[in-house]
Amino acid sequence: MTDFPVKVQNRSSGNIFTNVFDELIRFARSRSLFMLHYCTGCGAIELPPAMTSRFDMERLGIQPMVTPRQADILLITGYVSVKTLKRIILTYEQMGSPKYVIGICSCTVNGGMYWQSYATAKKLNDYMPVDLYIAGCMPRPEAVISGLQQLMDKIKDGQANSWEDYYRRYDYYLGNQQRLFGDDWQTPTDIIGEAHHYGLFDEGTEGAHTELLKLHQHPLEPLGMTLNAHKIKQD
Amino acid sequence: MTVSIGELIIELLLMPLVAFVVGLFMVLLMRKTGARLQRRVGPPLLQPLYDIIKLHSKRTQVSHGLIHDIGIVMAVGGYVAAETLLPVPGMNGIAEKGGLITLLYMMMIPSLGLALGVGQCANPNGSIGISRALTAMLAYDIPFVIVMFAIAWHFSSTNLVEIVSIQQAGGFSSWGAVQMPLLALAGLFTLQGMLGKQPFEVYVAPAEIATGPMVEMGGKYLGGLFVMQCFQLYTASVLYVTLFLGGGENWLMLLIKAFAVLLIPFSIAFLFPRFRTEDLVRLMWKWPVMLALLGLLIMSAR
Amino acid sequence: MSVLDNLLIASLCLIPASWLLANWFTGRVLLTVAYAALLYVLIDLPYEGLVSSSFQPQVLGQQMLWQMDAFGSFFAMLTVAAAFFSSWYASGSWAASFADKGGSLKLLYAALALNVFFMLLLITAADFMSLFISWELVSWSGVLLMLLGGRDTVAPAIKYIAYVFAGGMAVLAAVILLAVWTGNLSFFAVAAAIGDLSSAQLWTVTLLFFAGFAVKMGLLPFHLWQAPAYAMTAGPASVFLSAMSARMGLLAIIVVLMRVFGIEFLDKLQVINQWLSLRDLLAWLAALTIILPTYTALRQNDARLLLAWHGIGQGGYMLLGLLMLDSLGTAGGLMHVFNYALYQAALVMSVFAIMKQTGTTDLNRLGGLVARMPLTFLVMLVCIIGLAGLPPMNGFVSKWMIYRALVNEGMPMLFVASVIGTLGTILSVYKLLHNSFLGQLRAEHQHISEVSWSMMLPMLLLAALVLLTGMMPGLVLEWIAAAQIAAGFEPVQYTLGGVMVVNAAVSGDLDMLWVSGILFAGFAVGAVLFLSAGKSKRVHQLDNYAGGHFLTADNQYHYSDNFYAGLMNIIKPWYRGSFIWFEKGLVSFVDLLASFAGRFYSLNQTTGWMVAFSVIFSSWLIFF
Repeated sequence: MTDFPVKVQNRSSGNIFTNVFDELIRFARSRSLFMLHYCTGCGAIELPPAMTSRFDMERLGIQPMVTPRQADILLITGYVSVKTLKRIILTYEQMGSPKYVIGICSCTVNGGMYWQSYATAKKLNDYMPVDLYIAGCMPRPEAVISGLQQLMDKIKDGQANSWEDYYRRYDYYLGNQQRLFGDDWQTPTDIIGEAHHYGLFDEGTEGAHTELLKLHQHPLEPLGMTLNAHKIKQD
Repeated sequence: MTVSIGELIIELLLMPLVAFVVGLFMVLLMRKTGARLQRRVGPPLLQPLYDIIKLHSKRTQVSHGLIHDIGIVMAVGGYVAAETLLPVPGMNGIAEKGGLITLLYMMMIPSLGLALGVGQCANPNGSIGISRALTAMLAYDIPFVIVMFAIAWHFSSTNLVEIVSIQQAGGFSSWGAVQMPLLALAGLFTLQGMLGKQPFEVYVAPAEIATGPMVEMGGKYLGGLFVMQCFQLYTASVLYVTLFLGGGENWLMLLIKAFAVLLIPFSIAFLFPRFRTEDLVRLMWKWPVMLALLGLLIMSAR
Repeated sequence: MSVLDNLLIASLCLIPASWLLANWFTGRVLLTVAYAALLYVLIDLPYEGLVSSSFQPQVLGQQMLWQMDAFGSFFAMLTVAAAFFSSWYASGSWAASFADKGGSLKLLYAALALNVFFMLLLITAADFMSLFISWELVSWSGVLLMLLGGRDTVAPAIKYIAYVFAGGMAVLAAVILLAVWTGNLSFFAVAAAIGDLSSAQLWTVTLLFFAGFAVKMGLLPFHLWQAPAYAMTAGPASVFLSAMSARMGLLAIIVVLMRVFGIEFLDKLQVINQWLSLRDLLAWLAALTIILPTYTALRQNDARLLLAWHGIGQGGYMLLGLLMLDSLGTAGGLMHVFNYALYQAALVMSVFAIMKQTGTTDLNRLGGLVARMPLTFLVMLVCIIGLAGLPPMNGFVSKWMIYRALVNEGMPMLFVASVIGTLGTILSVYKLLHNSFLGQLRAEHQHISEVSWSMMLPMLLLAALVLLTGMMPGLVLEWIAAAQIAAGFEPVQYTLGGVMVVNAAVSGDLDMLWVSGILFAGFAVGAVLFLSAGKSKRVHQLDNYAGGHFLTADNQYHYSDNFYAGLMNIIKPWYRGSFIWFEKGLVSFVDLLASFAGRFYSLNQTTGWMVAFSVIFSSWLIFF
């Protein structure tokens, strides 16, 4: 398991609790992780033993959750086909920050045993920031739990902020996604707006690829409550 | 017994706080019971607190609109208000200003708030979850209402403070569960339904409807629901103890009784799968209703 | 010229005034102000004592009399207030769109004024002849209001006429029998003479009166006409009809069966000796009226029909409360009349507002309107909480009183029945709110706007009143206590915040000031916790969990059809159209009788047969 150097910048998050109880928050975040019960590939077979009685992830505070809104950890378990990668990216964008991605199995690291295939994505890093890789084909539950414990330590030390990288270098990630899916690739989430919202708008957020996205994207303003909608310009 | 306005204010502030803290340990009891039944260790002592802190400290709070926000505020706020209607040892709150019926209806306001919030999320999974939750409420409330009538008739009061004092004055033999055992049994069925525990867990149903109402809830919204769960466990168990097990002579006895009552639905929950909605309604309208009616008949014949 | 005379004359003058002024905006505003002035006069009428009209003609040797006391003024205030709000709602942009579609504003306003006048006559009637005449007038004027909606309304109106004609004939028969047996038709004379009648006579008269009044009130099994007749007509007409029309039947039942015949009267008539009295039978009819129409409402897909079926159900609560005959129950029943008028009027107004803006009230074709009509949503939310009977709205207070009266009297099954009704109401109104205002906004509704202030302000005022009288029910209970005293019931012990239960089998009070206060304080605590945890980010409705699927605007991502599928699977087989079958059976029975009569009249020796039948029938009446 290698650590990938990810640029970490400490910025205040404007939340009363965080400013006052920073340590407590990081500790609570490390001891209460909800993993998204979305099993992407064949490595998912190693998750049930890790969750159930023999290896019991719940004593570490990790429990499975069903939808991306509720989850903190996205486990990419196994090879990532192009079709699946679209859904994985949508799911990742719908998750709430701070969120962590763990690439389980060697297929996420360098393509694994499908390194010659036309239908899989070889390096998960290109498409979304990854906190931790756990190599193996497949890694045993002990390895999965050991990796999760490493993640917990990183969270407690405030080092697991790769989610910020997605907003800071969105153009780079979008470029890789467009290369794989085509120029009209879009998701219903508004990443650039969110980058402004979290104060993570950087020089790498917008660029040539986001310009291409704006050409194709459907309007995404949330429906505000109004009394006079007939005055809104028709689009 | 009259309390000064200052004492009343302190009581009104303390009752929800105590309910929350005790509720946290009740959630822990639920998870530990499940773990031990499944022959594993289970979460550490303060796990529910860590969950709530983590959820409230999330950077992303996805909201689908103003009604989504208001719904969660109503869900938490409604229970905070309902706790003041439930008398506990040393603190009566405003239990005498509205009795058992008011408490029952006050407990429906958080569900309504949740339904509003989920409705604005515009996700069919959530709407299906709410429709199932309301159907389940219709199902378990019918035996519960029969039980409630029997209690009010037996103790000649809907005032919870009076019900507790009658039971404590009479000792063990005047407890609701001893005087009306069939009704206490029907009440246990209703408790299982009210807590939404298997086999009556139709509205969460993670594998069918993606956790139903919680589908688009993240961050502080899900945190609010976790807080609501703490309050819900506390209110249901303390209400059962108040009506059937003589209330609490002091805090220690109340907590022991409440935790003991909760062990029953928790143990049953982890041994059963989930019923279909139709089967839940049919079951709740058959056996608990027959038990409750039989108990009522015996009581009126006495 | 007494105050009552002035009132009646003013109300009479409103009819031609409405006809003349209805086509102009200023005229409509003037008419609304006139109703408000009428309401103001009514509120100021003295409560204690009786106000008589000086118009007292003698007809056929019977003295006709009109009088108003606190009980009558309670109902009169509600009637005029309902007319005021309907007229306000109709005065502005609604009238413009109605006239555009070819509707007749003159007919609407004149029919409204006509209804108000005849209802005032009915409320103040003090002898049986004027009661019957005004009863018939009220029934027939209701038809005018029902015919305003176009072709859809004709069939329901004809059904209404058939039912109400039969009911009117029953009332006429009862009045004639009373005249024959007691000689004098004034309320005092009949009340004094009622003890002298035999059991069979009493039963005949009571059943005839009850059948006649129950038709108008929409009590089981005479309720099938009410929902389509009230729902399909034009907006303001539906508002007035839903709020007050059916209560005329309830008023007549209270006046005749409880005040004139005496409160203990119902207990004395036994169906099964010592086991089931007439009062128990009526209470069970009321309980069934609560349950069955509420679950019919659950199955409706048209919002107007859903509300109209709820109207039938809530009438059952009022009768049930009144049949308890103690201070708490009767207060609960009367307060429910008041509460129901307020929130039903507002709900019907909001549904017709949706109809005006989107063109449909089909619950499977709406959704997400909260983003485009937020104030209408607020009104509907407040009023469905009231309809469901949850704190802090006024519906909770009246239902609490009815529940407590049932507990005090020791009637478990009726208590369970009324709570079942409430639970069914909660399910049904959530479906109404969710399918129209929550969920996904359709593409074709993206550009609709809120209704104009002339329609919005009456709705908001009604919703505010629902909340206010819920938090401080003492304001209404003052009137109700006066009405109870005038009607001969024991008045309820009330405070500003609620009710005190004294001298009852089961103790336990209610104080809504504390309950509402603590509820809002709880919301404040929840809001503090919520707001201190970080800013929310609003997202678009297509940014939604769909199992990884990409949602687009043409996905109908909204669950509305068959909203309670699981429950309906169980309940639907029970609704095998038994009431329609009953109605059809009644129709074919009458058909059979008619064909007999037809063949009878073409026989020879008809005179002889008729004499024989009349002699047999009259001798049964006279000797038993």
